Amino acid sequence: MAFIEIQNLFKRFKDVVAINRIQLEINKGEMLTLLGPSGCGKTTTLRCIAGLEKPEGGDIIIDGQPMLSAGFVPPSKRGIGMVFQNYAVWPHMKVFSNIVYGLKLQKIAKPQIRERASQVLELVGLAGLEDRYPAQLSGGQQQRVALARALVTNPKVLLLDEPLSNLDAKLREELRFEIKSLVRRMGITSVYVTHDQAEAMVISDRIAVMDSGNVVQIGTSHEIYKKPVNRFVADFIGTMNFMSGEVVEILQGRNAVGVRTDFSEKMVCTMPDGTAATPGTNVYASIRPEDVEVFAEPPQATENVFKGKIVHKAYLGNFLFFFVRVNDTMIRVQVPHHLSQEEGQELYLFLNPQKCMILT
Amino acid sequence: MSRGNYYLAAFLWLIIAFFVIYPLSIVVLESFKIAGTDSWGIQNYLEFFRDTYYLKTFGKTLLLSTLLLVTTTVFGVPLAYILARYRHTGKTIFTALILLPIVLPAFAGVFAFIIFFGKYGTLNLLLMDLGLVEKPINFIYGLHGLVFIQALHMLPFIVLGLSAGFTNIDPSFEEAAEVEGASGFRRFFTITLPLCTPSYMAGAVLVFLWPFTDWLTPLILGQHDLLPSVSYINIAYHFTDVHRKYMGIVAVVVSAVVCISLFLFARWWVEKRKYTGLSKGTTSEGRVIEPSALVKSGAYVYMVFIALLVLLIPIVLGLAAFSRKWVFEAFPTYWTLENFRLILLESPGLIKNSFLFSGIALVFGIAFGLPAAYIIVRTRVPGRDALDFVITLMLAFPGIAIGVSYLLAFWEGIPLATFWIIMPLALFTRRLPYFLRMAHSSYLQLDTSLEEAAEVSGASKIRTFFSISLPLLLKGVLVGVVMFFIMAFQEISTAIFLYRGGWETLPIGIYLNWHRGMEFGIAAAMAFLMIVITFILLLIISRVGGGVLKAAWGAGEK
Repeated sequence: MAFIEIQNLFKRFKDVVAINRIQLEINKGEMLTLLGPSGCGKTTTLRCIAGLEKPEGGDIIIDGQPMLSAGFVPPSKRGIGMVFQNYAVWPHMKVFSNIVYGLKLQKIAKPQIRERASQVLELVGLAGLEDRYPAQLSGGQQQRVALARALVTNPKVLLLDEPLSNLDAKLREELRFEIKSLVRRMGITSVYVTHDQAEAMVISDRIAVMDSGNVVQIGTSHEIYKKPVNRFVADFIGTMNFMSGEVVEILQGRNAVGVRTDFSEKMVCTMPDGTAATPGTNVYASIRPEDVEVFAEPPQATENVFKGKIVHKAYLGNFLFFFVRVNDTMIRVQVPHHLSQEEGQELYLFLNPQKCMILT
Repeated sequence: MSRGNYYLAAFLWLIIAFFVIYPLSIVVLESFKIAGTDSWGIQNYLEFFRDTYYLKTFGKTLLLSTLLLVTTTVFGVPLAYILARYRHTGKTIFTALILLPIVLPAFAGVFAFIIFFGKYGTLNLLLMDLGLVEKPINFIYGLHGLVFIQALHMLPFIVLGLSAGFTNIDPSFEEAAEVEGASGFRRFFTITLPLCTPSYMAGAVLVFLWPFTDWLTPLILGQHDLLPSVSYINIAYHFTDVHRKYMGIVAVVVSAVVCISLFLFARWWVEKRKYTGLSKGTTSEGRVIEPSALVKSGAYVYMVFIALLVLLIPIVLGLAAFSRKWVFEAFPTYWTLENFRLILLESPGLIKNSFLFSGIALVFGIAFGLPAAYIIVRTRVPGRDALDFVITLMLAFPGIAIGVSYLLAFWEGIPLATFWIIMPLALFTRRLPYFLRMAHSSYLQLDTSLEEAAEVSGASKIRTFFSISLPLLLKGVLVGVVMFFIMAFQEISTAIFLYRGGWETLPIGIYLNWHRGMEFGIAAAMAFLMIVITFILLLIISRVGGGVLKAAWGAGEK
């Protein structure tokens, strides 16, 4: 049985449905990320788990105990630790007082409080800064205080609400790994909210992609990147070329379909697991820019080879981006940085059928 | 940096020097004069602090200040919390009523409460009629009455500051406490309240200093031994008794020093812990909660109670204004317009003077306030912070001190006080901050790039100001104009020292009528007239935008 079970959770603000009866299971010791654009309901879901929002329906079960169906359990009784987007480190208290606030409420003996505090300060790398006021700390340090405060009570569940979004890019990347290894070492079940797909992929064991109050897909980073369930997920995670078209043929035995697009009578795409497309369905033939192969001369392959013209070329250091026009469709292609083609030149694209998928 | 800004700043400083610094230094100098001689020394101060009467007076003033602050805080904290956090209907009307005393003249409240709570006032008569008490209860004559009346007058300052604090603090601070296991009162006292202290302090200091400023309320209630009342009596009635005069001047200086230093302290303290702006990315605008039915009805009862006390002032004064011979009766029985007829017949000049003097003061206020706001907000002229500080300081400065200083400075040396123009000038000085702060706070909210765009398009600084800034500031400026006028209109502490026959304003008329022969009817009618005028002006403000008012007076740190 999962450590946290979210069952049929429903929450609305006035007329806007924020969470639309979602189901979610989080395993013990796992780091699950709720990923999605702003307004998708990810933060609201997290706040429901924390008890900071009261959902209208459904239940949340933490470690076997219902948080809603057997009477609303307030945040203070849920055994959680939480890191807020804006740190919420109390400015009128020193670092030490911030951290031990929760311990004091648990009526723990003074010497023990000191010990726990110094342990956790060591853990987050803030040893020696106990007597500073938050205003005397950098943003990164404040976030570490927030993390220490959330961890010091040994919570059953750690909730992180876009904890890195207020930090600059370099620090953000550094802290990602730090948080990941820290949480993994402590084995705390955690839920992490972010809108940054790279952050989600680095930090989580599993990702739940959310869109307009629904969980669209749950899986590991790899699964979500390689096998997105729909156009939304594919677009949100990484970059994808979408070529709208219509299924014209089912290629039995190959687990593939033929799709008619603006520039091709029949483009062969792999059929994702469990999808059943019938001829006539409108779909997107999709391929990631890095999966497109380019050739100066016509390649050997017999299908999915298209001639196009480079409209833009962008140099991104470790690779190049070509924007290639095939008829009227623009296809983005990621190629090694040493390719010498220039804007205006023509080339051949091979959209490997194994890597072409159809999405709706 | 343009040269014009320097000239402008220099000009503003010149005005401050002439109308604020010069007269005030004259008082200070005077306090060091040894009576009857031409020599100087600290004799007056030694005498003052050796005299047990004056020491007791000083101590009693401090005691009153403390009691006042405690009372307003105890009543103000829940009130501010209810107004800021609870979702309830009638929020606007309750807020308006509870904040009303800010703009009502302090003496209006005193008169109303004497009529209602006095020895043979309405309440006592009702209680006796019902047979609940045998002898009248002394509700207001004494320290307790003073605390009661002054607390009601100053409550808005606490409520305004705190409710702004309760609304503006980042909700996640409290949520974090909740997650950590603190809820209810614990969270309130360890997190919410401490985070609101800076906005509380801004109001608290004004409350604490009020007993060092308000001479009239104690006088009317028969509590003479407080610093400002003593100063007033000594200076106004014993000008020929040189000793008492000097003791009065010393009392004025001592009050002013207390006011300045506490104000400085509060400013420093607030500056040190500005909690707002520390957190980034606030998600929601405050927290509004739906309290349980029991708590909600309790909150309503409480709000209605305070609102009724405030409403008593205009109601009682209205009853008194439209009646004659309202004595030993719970409610008036003889209705008449006689009071108003007498006012119009015998002293129509009072109304005219009030409008004229306040109006001229307002013109000065705008002519000074707009450039001052510009210099303070938009330029880097050295000393602009000091300018802001001196002007803001006038908020806490006792009106008596200004009155006395003008009397001393502009009587013999520069004989300005023999011309009626001294009246609007004094009102202008006394109410200096009221217009400026409105202009200032709306200026701060005006995006610089709007002005820069005009300058890039080729407009001069002055043209930019009049064609871009001023129209955009208009709302704040208008509220400032009305606010200034209201405050100048009810000014008495300074004017009382400077008026001569024919220069009386409405507040002075009220005082004289009360003072001369207990002509309560006429005094009440005048006070009622003032309240009506204030109400009309307030309506204009709320039409223009009550938000501006809150922005300027809410938290002191804005």
